[in-house]
Amino acid sequence: MSTTHGHAPIQESGQLSEFEVLELAVRELAIEKGLFSAEDHRRFSEWAESRGPHGGSKLVAKAWVDPAFKERLLTNGTEACKEVGLNWLEPTGQGTPSDYTFFYVLENTPKLHNVIVCTLCSCYPRPVLGMSPDWYRTPNYRRRMVRWPREVLAEFGLHLSPDVEVRVHDSNQKSRFMVMPMRPEGTEGWSEEQLAAIVTRDCMIGVALPRPDWTAQQVPSQATPSQAKGKGGRK
Amino acid sequence: MGSTPTQYDTLQRQVSNLNPVDRLLLDSPYTISNELYSVLRHVLHDVGGQPDTPVPFTEKGEEPWEMNTYVTCECLGWRGVWNSEERRRRENDLGMTQYFGLPYYARWITVATKSLIDQGLITTDELGKKIDEVRDRLTKRKK
Repeated sequence: MSTTHGHAPIQESGQLSEFEVLELAVRELAIEKGLFSAEDHRRFSEWAESRGPHGGSKLVAKAWVDPAFKERLLTNGTEACKEVGLNWLEPTGQGTPSDYTFFYVLENTPKLHNVIVCTLCSCYPRPVLGMSPDWYRTPNYRRRMVRWPREVLAEFGLHLSPDVEVRVHDSNQKSRFMVMPMRPEGTEGWSEEQLAAIVTRDCMIGVALPRPDWTAQQVPSQATPSQAKGKGGRK
Repeated sequence: MGSTPTQYDTLQRQVSNLNPVDRLLLDSPYTISNELYSVLRHVLHDVGGQPDTPVPFTEKGEEPWEMNTYVTCECLGWRGVWNSEERRRRENDLGMTQYFGLPYYARWITVATKSLIDQGLITTDELGKKIDEVRDRLTKRKK
């Protein structure tokens, strides 16, 4: 990432973006040529907009209260998703072109912390977590997380004890991962819905831990421009 | 970007200012070492483990054209025009300057366009005409 040079931004604000023009031109030509239909585009958009971290939150909350489900989730993530209404075959019947893969849920323990990255591109479990955060796709995160995970996690506000092993999982074309954090103290007797609310996107990426007093949940496509880093782990 | 001689000169100055990540002076040397040959064969997208300095991990949020690009690329995959492997491969083959210079979804729409042209599904003439038409339409809407 070039942050050392004072170049003006490529896209001035208020200026018509050439990317916006190109996307619309390509889409219209594809529809005119019958490569896909306007209905396809509308339906896929509708599905994509409905995805978000709430899918993964439900999986984790259910696993916290139902040990048998947790076992099924850890054994076969794709199948277990169906029990909370998430089907990896949606929305086309054959999955999305980019995400129909094996899905593994990674369980945190008192001695093990998991975190996900995609060093080669930006693979992410969209069907259960929605669109990835912008920082997840940056070369900087991709470069450093696999080699300096404790340092990068600390930048998110997550300071792990040296006796906790950190395991970094590199996502790819065939395998997507999601972190199942430990249920925090102070949530005894909570309902599944209450628990789901504290399992934020960042907790399931592995850059934050759930806290009983933090329920931030936001679909990345609806995020405000000035959102700061590490919202899940801030004290 | 227009096409007057002055605009061309301005563009060329900016092009020559692009800062490659590899700061060796590379300008088609007559000969190179075997070692540099193997360095140059490293695939640019394989960045895992490369040293870098901390940066703020900020969130911008998806803009409408970005979400539309994602969906357009997925619809092309859904209907068998390409697959996600072709998309990734084409992104990786953009070359260092464009791979690291373009915003994330600009890479996607750039390679989708190239794939349609390479497969003969659209022509560059059709594309140019459509781009002009869309730009005019959007410009009028914004005024």
